[in-house]
This record gives sequence, C-alpha cells and structure tokens, in this order.
Amino acid sequence: MNKVYSLHDAIAKFVEDGDSISFGGFTTNRKPYAAVHEILRQGQKDFIAYAGPAGGDWDLLIGEGRVKAYINCYTANSGVTNVSRRFRAAIEKGELIYEDYSQDVVMLMLHAASLGLPFLPVKLMMGSSLTDMWGISKEVRKTIEKLPDDKFVYMDNPFAPGEKVVAVPVPKLDTAIIHAQQASPDGTCRIIGDEFHDVDIIVAARKAIVICDELVENDQIRQEPTKNSIPPFCVDAVVHCPYGAHPTQLYGYYDYDNAYMKEYDVASKTPEAFKEFVEKYVYGVKDHEEYVNLFSTMRMVNLKEVPGYGYATKNIGKEG
Amino acid sequence: MADYTNYTNKEMQAVTIGKVIEDGQVVIVGTGLPLIGAALAKRIFAPSCNLIVESGLMDCAPIEVPRSVGDNRLMAHCAVQWPNVRFIGYEACEWQHNRGRLIAFIGGAQINPYGDVNSTCIGNYYAPKTRFTGSGGANGIATYSNTVIMMQHEKRRFIEQIDYITSPGWMGGPDGRAKAGLPSNVGPQAIVTDRGVMKFDSETKRMYLAGYYETSSIEEIVENTGFEIDTSRAELIAPPSPDVIRIIREEIDPGEAFIKRPVE
Repeated sequence: MNKVYSLHDAIAKFVEDGDSISFGGFTTNRKPYAAVHEILRQGQKDFIAYAGPAGGDWDLLIGEGRVKAYINCYTANSGVTNVSRRFRAAIEKGELIYEDYSQDVVMLMLHAASLGLPFLPVKLMMGSSLTDMWGISKEVRKTIEKLPDDKFVYMDNPFAPGEKVVAVPVPKLDTAIIHAQQASPDGTCRIIGDEFHDVDIIVAARKAIVICDELVENDQIRQEPTKNSIPPFCVDAVVHCPYGAHPTQLYGYYDYDNAYMKEYDVASKTPEAFKEFVEKYVYGVKDHEEYVNLFSTMRMVNLKEVPGYGYATKNIGKEG
Repeated sequence: MADYTNYTNKEMQAVTIGKVIEDGQVVIVGTGLPLIGAALAKRIFAPSCNLIVESGLMDCAPIEVPRSVGDNRLMAHCAVQWPNVRFIGYEACEWQHNRGRLIAFIGGAQINPYGDVNSTCIGNYYAPKTRFTGSGGANGIATYSNTVIMMQHEKRRFIEQIDYITSPGWMGGPDGRAKAGLPSNVGPQAIVTDRGVMKFDSETKRMYLAGYYETSSIEEIVENTGFEIDTSRAELIAPPSPDVIRIIREEIDPGEAFIKRPVE
C-alpha cells in the first residue's frame, strides 16, 4: 500500500483544529520542522500539546497562537536560547494555558499511551511544587474536553498499603508527527540513532505522520529489519522532505544550523521581530522546497555530518 | 606561551565539579559546566567514571562540547542510544538496588537551606516575573539519585523561601524526604558555586559552608547568601594546576561554548 503524501496533503488530511498532538525529537535534535511550518501555513490551531522535550518547534506554534493547552516539561533551544522566548513571554503575559510535569512523567505518560495502559503510577514529582501547584485548575480542565479533569491523583500502592504513589492520566493522542532518516512508501520507518519517544507517540496516536529525509524502496528497507523502528500499519502518511528536520540535527545526516538558531534567538525576543522571522521562513515561502532554497547550497553542505564524528566539524585532519 | 595561572571563578567551579566525581561512579550530566567538569574527571580525576544523559545516551565520550543532552555530539561515541524511558527506569532500578553509584548534576535559579531547587519560575507560578524551562530531567534525578547542585552564588538565589520546588532536596530536615514519600537514602550532597562549596549537616540536613576559593572568601560568601550559614567548617580549596586550566581551554572547551577565557 502506498502511503506517500505531499507535505501539504498529509498535514491537511491528518492535522485538525483541536487535536491532541505530539512531535518526536529532542529540543534541537530530529524535530519535524517542515511539518510545523506547514501547519503554520495551513492555519490549524487550538492544539492540546504534549510537547515533551521541546524547542523552537513548539515555540513557533506558541508564538503564532496555535496552542490551546501546553503540557510542558522543558522548552529551549539549549545552548543558544536557554528558555524559549515566545513560550516564556506567553506565560509571563498570562497568554498561555499550561501545565508542568517533570520530563520523566511526560515521557512515561507517552510510553504508557503506547502500551495502552489505563493510567500510570509513579513515584515522581512527590514533595515538589509539580504536585502542589496545578497549572490548569480542575475547573478549567473540565471546560477543555480533551484534558483529563485531574493533573494527577495520589493513591495507595495496592500491593504495599501505606505507600503513597502519584497516579497520572495517560494521554489519548490524536496526532503524532516525527521526522525519521528513512521510510518506505508502505510506511515502514527507520530511525537512526536515539529514537527518543518517537516510536511511542506513533504507536499511541490515532493519526501518524512520518516525515523522512530519504524515501527508500519497500524491499530495500526490509533487507535489514533489525534496523527498522516502526511497522507500516502504524503509519498513515509518509512524506518525503529532505532537510525536513532543519534547523535541528539528524543523526547520520546533518548537524544543527547554528546560524539559524542564533537568528531565531534574536528574532524571538520581541513580537515584532518574531513576526518578521515567521514571515521570512514560514509564510513567505510556498512550501518546504522554497524554504530549503532560502539557504545557500554551501550552508547546507557545511551542515553535513563528517563520517566518524556524528556531526559537522572542521576539526578533522587537524593536528593535535 | 599562554598564561594558564590566571584562572577564573567559573573555571574554578568547573574544576571543583570535576573533583567531586569519583572513580567507578555513573554520572548523570547536563550540558554546560557539569559537562566540562565531567570531561575533566574523565581525563584526569576519575578516568573510570561513566557519563550518561537524561535523553538516554549511555556511557558518553564526547569529543566536542555538546549543546544539549540530545546532541549528536553525545549520541556519537557512546555505548548505547537508549530511549529516554530506559534512562528513567535505569535510574529507579539503581536506587532500588541501592548500589550508590549514581551521582547527578543539576542546576537552578533559587535554592533554600535544605537544598530544594527551583528551576521553574521567579515569582508567582501563575503570573511569574521570570519563567524558565521547567523541570526537564531534574525532578526525576533529584527524586532517585544523589545530586550535586550548581548555582551562581548570589543573595537573591540563596534564600529561605524559594518560589517553586522543582527538584526536592532534604525537604526541611532529616525526615523531610521520607515524609514526602521520596527515597530518603539519596539527596543533595553538595552545592558548587562560583564562590565555594556548600554541604549538608549530617544531623540537621541544613546547608553549611564547606569550602571557599582563593578567588573568594568566607565573608564574601556570607554576604552573598540570603540566609544564615554555618562557616565554622569552611576550608580553603586549593587552586587548580595550570595544566588543568590548559586542558579546559585548549582541549575541552576551545570554542568557549560554556567558559569564557579571562580577557588579557
């Protein structure tokens, strides 16, 4: 079965207003930016965001007012922007409905979702303000259909009476989008390097989009099934987008684009500069191809991973 | 010849972090100073330590300085690339087996005398003056492992009442963690700042000054601490050798990603 879609058609068909949605990747690694840009262009909004270890991907969507409720554990382009600026501004101005969990709890929640568990008991967040303070009150939660009424509940460990544990709800994901190195037209997907929570969200979500840098023949990708991450029937759409994770890293392929990260760091400081930035990189281009064409060939070539290093470096061949 | 005797407070902080690490320990590092300290430990002070990061990368040996814990600079040259949930499980199982090998570095914006740390917000959580990233892996790390906390030593950061507890420390005293339902045989071991090293009294679990640098003083630390701190056990910590400073500047962080060189 052929599941290959254009980026436009995949986003138009599988991303809807109000979706409970999660992206793969980790802050500045393997983030599905091409999909984020296309969502921004098409206008979908009111997302319930299970953001996980987020960076500029969710900062762009927050900055453009597309998020209804933001489930946060960490939002930064680490090393360049130590707190994502539109995220920060939205909270400081009271413009974002958000909830804080620890990263461990969000990742375990998404894993539990992939396992089909009814709820999840943890011993995390105990004694901290992560349990004492609810970003989204029970009253507000009741008005948002896709959010559980409770952030968590304390319960007694049924197998060790007297031991208190924290029971957290397991999210019901509508949509998952990941960026993988390779996929084949039938939906078989290969993630190279750390899979992060990507397999979990693809299995858990009702609608699953895999963006890939390389589209590989079905027979070819099955020659080494040990290296494959996701079976075809868990995937609804495969989209071929070379450099679709730019400006973030793609292990085995390319490094983060430091110049972009620095430009975004400055641009995201004010609403005005942010508007100019998204006009230039998102709304001002028709599609991903035009986006990639904004950058010079040598800029992209210089991001290429140096074999043996795992990232772009100028240090190869130097003494010392 | 470059001068490696003109070390900075930040370099001293990184070296002090490196010296906390012992051979055979499994070290949970974040980016920034802990990574510089851990890289020093691996090269000089405790070569048999193993570095792991919360994204799930196990036994890392980065050549260039990584930006984030998910960086390809950590993903390459490690033993195993686990998904994050395996890291969480490993951390909890280490605690269950009580092997005492795990040591973790976390940072924060505010700390109280019992080592509870805030890395979420300054001011009211619902209308913060300054909002930070949120927990990341810090809450889980502070739940299950012994920690060393890195801070900038300022009066507004060392305060009696912090605005939000992101990562639990000793929670007000020796029985604080048990009362909160937290593992009580682990907790914060030390705070390493740009001015000195604080530890926790074995009886009361309250912070005391354990050491100060040549570049700081007991008076300066007291002045920059927003609560009363016992200084009776404070000792001068020996300065780093020029060779250690050379390794930081020339080999570990030549691009000055996390530590700036002193201006000549």
